[in-house]
Amino acid sequence: MALLLVAAAIFRLVITRSVGGDLSFAFPDEKYVMYRLVPLISALIVGSALGVSGMGLQVLLRNPLASPWILGLSSGAGLGVMATMFAEHSYGMSIFGGQTIGALVGAVVSLLLVFGLSRRRGGIDPMTMVLVGVVISVLCGAGIMIFQHLVPMGLRGSFTTWLMGSLPEVESWWRLGILGVVVLFCISLIAWWGPTLDAACLSDDEAKSVGVNLPQIRRRLFFTSSLLAAIGVILAGPIAFVGLIAPHGARIVMRGSHRSLAIATAIVGALLLLAADDVRQLIDFGTGRLPIGIVTSVVGGLVFLVLLLRGKGRV
Amino acid sequence: MRLRLTDIGVRFGARAALRDFNASVDGSKVVAILGPNASGKTTLLRTIAGLQSPTVGMVELDGRNVEKLKPHDLASKIAWVPRVAEVSGSLTIRKVIELGRYALGPSRQRVEDALAKVDLLSRSESLWYEASAGMRQRAAIARAFAQRTPGGVLVLDEPTSALDLRHLRMVGEMLRQCASEGDIVIAAMHNISFALDVADEVFVLKDGQLVLAGATKAVLTPSSLGDVFGVDLAWATDEAGNQHLVQP
Repeated sequence: MALLLVAAAIFRLVITRSVGGDLSFAFPDEKYVMYRLVPLISALIVGSALGVSGMGLQVLLRNPLASPWILGLSSGAGLGVMATMFAEHSYGMSIFGGQTIGALVGAVVSLLLVFGLSRRRGGIDPMTMVLVGVVISVLCGAGIMIFQHLVPMGLRGSFTTWLMGSLPEVESWWRLGILGVVVLFCISLIAWWGPTLDAACLSDDEAKSVGVNLPQIRRRLFFTSSLLAAIGVILAGPIAFVGLIAPHGARIVMRGSHRSLAIATAIVGALLLLAADDVRQLIDFGTGRLPIGIVTSVVGGLVFLVLLLRGKGRV
Repeated sequence: MRLRLTDIGVRFGARAALRDFNASVDGSKVVAILGPNASGKTTLLRTIAGLQSPTVGMVELDGRNVEKLKPHDLASKIAWVPRVAEVSGSLTIRKVIELGRYALGPSRQRVEDALAKVDLLSRSESLWYEASAGMRQRAAIARAFAQRTPGGVLVLDEPTSALDLRHLRMVGEMLRQCASEGDIVIAAMHNISFALDVADEVFVLKDGQLVLAGATKAVLTPSSLGDVFGVDLAWATDEAGNQHLVQP
């Protein structure tokens, strides 16, 4: 899996599509290498963040269909980003932390709503939770459209592009570095909690009886998963389905503790996003390259459907 | 080890699931909890295991309030077997049993022993969600067996409801072994013959109240159980001379 990741990264570095649409393969000149490295590193950060966020949510909610996108986290973070962008562009407001804080607040508020509204008789009802997540996602989508409608016409194009999801080609190194370190830290934390995540797969009574402090691990997962999803949105906009597919992909290639599964999920998530980015370089409808969010949505939507129809998806 | 339940009452909204329950149990005993459906058996067991806070009253283990025990202490003193074990994810039977050692440190020997006790050694790498109801029930019992500290408390909610006759006997022997090593074993069950075989004492519940308590053979009579369950019962003797409660 790691070798595939390296291959996908090298492919991303060497593939070139000229303005006329011809494909060629060569390492870029020194002055262009940054335009390849930035999306490559962003794909690694965003893919691993969304994948591990999805795994954390699937354990937290004991639901194999849980993911940042399905549970409205991505759209909540998106709404936060749009609100921040709207305030900055339309009112010239300077918000502390800017889009980063907007995305984080949006993600946490969405997850709190989904978590709170899915409770039935003191427990979480998995099916209610998916439905509530979809509703929150739709509501956040409506909020995003309202902001899109309110901004001046000239800004709508950039809002729409952002909403389709895309990996940045220009990004400051310090911002990439900070976000990368935070993602690495969160993934390490979740991997460190692996044995507790294993035990949290038991029912509440059983988990408590073997010594799991359930409220504590739920709080921790809740926060780190939200943070990871928010970072994904900050860097690449609302990318769908990577958080859902990556954990299932990791489970196909390995069976084991959540400690090793977290690492495998990070690799599969990064590989998925990088592969999607490679694929979009190959497709040309004469209107420029496809936004990466479209590629992940098409592939992810089909996989999600297969999981639903099989009814065997496991956390 | 002494388990003491004082004036236990548990309410769920307006409904009283358990009322005025008083009892004490010493170590090295198997106690069967019997009663009709919805008589409060599971609520009582969950309260004893520290999984349900009583609305009133207190459960004490050697004078310590079970509710106040920290997760690690609770795991080291009380092992729990639910009526239906639930595991999400792609865990194997072995991994589920290993989780019994989550708070107490891994022990390969304890896990192997537990697997052997419930006849699951050859199926230990099977995935949980592919296992039959009987295998899952045996795995849940094995997990508690791997977790238990001799001299502690083992609480089981209908641990034999999905078992065949051979495994029923195996589990009966396990419960007796735990009691012989000093454990307090408390199990809810509907199988009266099994209770007669393994239990030293019996608590019979009806409508959330303790209606009968005492030595198994003294309490489990056709007339007493007939009153509780609302059926006619009688003794029948098999070819080996063993007596069984049957519905005539």
